[in-house]
Amino acid sequence: MTDAAPTRPAPRLVVWIAGVGFALIAGVLGIVFVLLSWQAQSRLTGTVVEGLEVSQRRFADLERRRARERGLQAVALSESPTLKAALDTYLTEGAQGPAPAGLLATVREEATKLADLMAVPALALVDEDGSVLASAGPLASDWPTGARLPWLGVPEAKEIATARGERWYLASVVPLLLAGETIGTFLLASPLDDAYARAIAASAGADVIIVRDGRLIASGGPSSIAALSAVALPVAGSVFVKGDEWVVRRLSAVDSVAIYAVSAVASAAAATTSGMTRVILLVGAIGLLLAGGASWWLARTLARPIDELTAALARMVETRDLHQPLPRRGVSREMDALAATFDTLRLAVSQAEADSEAAYLGVVEALAAALDARDPYTAGHSQRVAEFSVLIGRHMGLSETDCETLRLGALLHDIGKIGISDAVLRKPGRLTDEEFDHIKLHPVLGARILRPLAFLAPHLPVVELHHERPDGRGYPHGLKGDAIPVFARIVHVTDAFDAITTARAYRPARSASEAMAELWRHVGTDFDPGVVQAMAAVWDSDLIQSAGERPAGATWLRPPSVGTLPFRARSGAPLPEVVG
Amino acid sequence: MRVAIRQLDEEFLPHVAAVTTGSTVEFPNEDLVFHNVFSLSSAATFDLGRYPQHASKSRVFKKSGIVKVFCHLHSHMSAIVRVFDHPYFTTPGTDGRFEIDGLEPGRHEVVAWHERVGESTLSLVVAANETTDANFALPLRDDK
Repeated sequence: MTDAAPTRPAPRLVVWIAGVGFALIAGVLGIVFVLLSWQAQSRLTGTVVEGLEVSQRRFADLERRRARERGLQAVALSESPTLKAALDTYLTEGAQGPAPAGLLATVREEATKLADLMAVPALALVDEDGSVLASAGPLASDWPTGARLPWLGVPEAKEIATARGERWYLASVVPLLLAGETIGTFLLASPLDDAYARAIAASAGADVIIVRDGRLIASGGPSSIAALSAVALPVAGSVFVKGDEWVVRRLSAVDSVAIYAVSAVASAAAATTSGMTRVILLVGAIGLLLAGGASWWLARTLARPIDELTAALARMVETRDLHQPLPRRGVSREMDALAATFDTLRLAVSQAEADSEAAYLGVVEALAAALDARDPYTAGHSQRVAEFSVLIGRHMGLSETDCETLRLGALLHDIGKIGISDAVLRKPGRLTDEEFDHIKLHPVLGARILRPLAFLAPHLPVVELHHERPDGRGYPHGLKGDAIPVFARIVHVTDAFDAITTARAYRPARSASEAMAELWRHVGTDFDPGVVQAMAAVWDSDLIQSAGERPAGATWLRPPSVGTLPFRARSGAPLPEVVG
Repeated sequence: MRVAIRQLDEEFLPHVAAVTTGSTVEFPNEDLVFHNVFSLSSAATFDLGRYPQHASKSRVFKKSGIVKVFCHLHSHMSAIVRVFDHPYFTTPGTDGRFEIDGLEPGRHEVVAWHERVGESTLSLVVAANETTDANFALPLRDDK
């Protein structure tokens, strides 16, 4: 139902163009931003992976060397002659009977000496049954004498990971050999704590976590990486934890304890992309600003001529003035073509209007002429009143347009008499009061006849009010003084003048001088003083035939060869200047 | 009695020597490098110090027991001196054969000892002017 369409006005063209332009550019910028970010992200992931792989290789070398060094250190320490001699003697004599405590003391003293000398966290001597005989180092309390280490079965050098006390240890284990005989096991242990993880992290150049069976043993890096211990970590690959991507590389694995280098893609990306993001945002802001400005300018350039054209058309409709050509801005060919089309339309409408006005006018003037022709005494009356009124109006300084309005109004001023019967109108004698009352209806009748013709609206006051008098004793409304339009006042005077100078069945025509005298006699009461003065001036100006003897139906004006006219110009056509 | 344990190619030769109490054991150095001889055993605690090639030092073992001898400079070197307060002992040859002379007739306990096996004991009766066999099996643990 189109009738039920919302009454909200359609958005302005400016808004449309600016909005679409802005959205377009914003969209392009947005896509560029997303693409660049995505590309940067993927490139960064690659960089992170590469970095971790380099770390992994570097760490693998380091770790291999470190493990070997610890093994060599263990071997070197285990080759202490005093330690071995004391241990062997202790074991030999222990097999014979109760071992002397001095030998074990020697063993422990030697172990402590070695631990101090080499600054190892913990070392331990274990007998063939897997019991700790002696331990030394700052963390010796995790390896107390008598503690059983049942996992040390095979007498060969190896790396093991084991939990002692609260800590996990990475230990190098070497058998103590004497004359081809294993007399015990020597163990050199490093704790797998955060300091150890941090040291690895520093050398690997990445964050490090040490995990065992999904449990975090130690971490070297931000606390957030602890969350990674809960997921299954690949030897090499990436995992998602809480929406963040982590690249993971296993650095080493001893028993079930694994050391991983990890790196968050997001945090690495954030650090690198933040600068890029700033630049893109700046460019985007400038772009949007320029886009907004350009869109606005474009919209105004396109919309303003339309607004101007619309305004010109609205003005034209309001004033009914179809004579001003529409503006052409020369901004776009389409707009100029539109203006030209409207102009053509305007001219056509103007022409049609003029034609129809002319047609109406012809009819109306024919009516007036028919009216004049009803009565030989009034023949030419309307025409003369019209001409005389224009002379006076022009003298009083009315514009040519007003004079034309005045002329047509004067021409039609008695049109209402069509409705008055011949018996009254052409009665040879004096009129009775009733007859006169009947005659007095003609201004109202005339206005009623002409009112349907819209283009005659300006002329109606002349027709309706040309019998009003300045003293308020006129008809039909009894208006006073300035309440009576000037056109009606003028026609009232010229009407009276022509009536006086025209013969009637019951009286002869009087001269123009007598008529002027009559007018002067009633000035201020019956006649407007300004109009009478102007009439006198026109009379003196020699435009009017002097001394009044004019043939019936003839004009008061001098013949055209001497003076003026024609007044029958139509609206729209320029009126000729009055000569002389 | 007087016994020599040589130091050759960073080894004590022989690895095991058996002597009676009061015997003197010589430790001649026949290597190019310095050697040292020391013991922490309760039967004889001593340290002969370091000495070069062709030098030799000795020690009198007065107390019976097992004396483990080491070199401070070479942790893999070791030797064993078994000191007895009687003359009835011997060290078997490489073929494993051994003979002990001059025993009184009657019942005797024979103890075989190996550093990696320990002791095993046999009881036997020896008749006058007769030789009695004693067979020991000393299984060495497989040490790989």
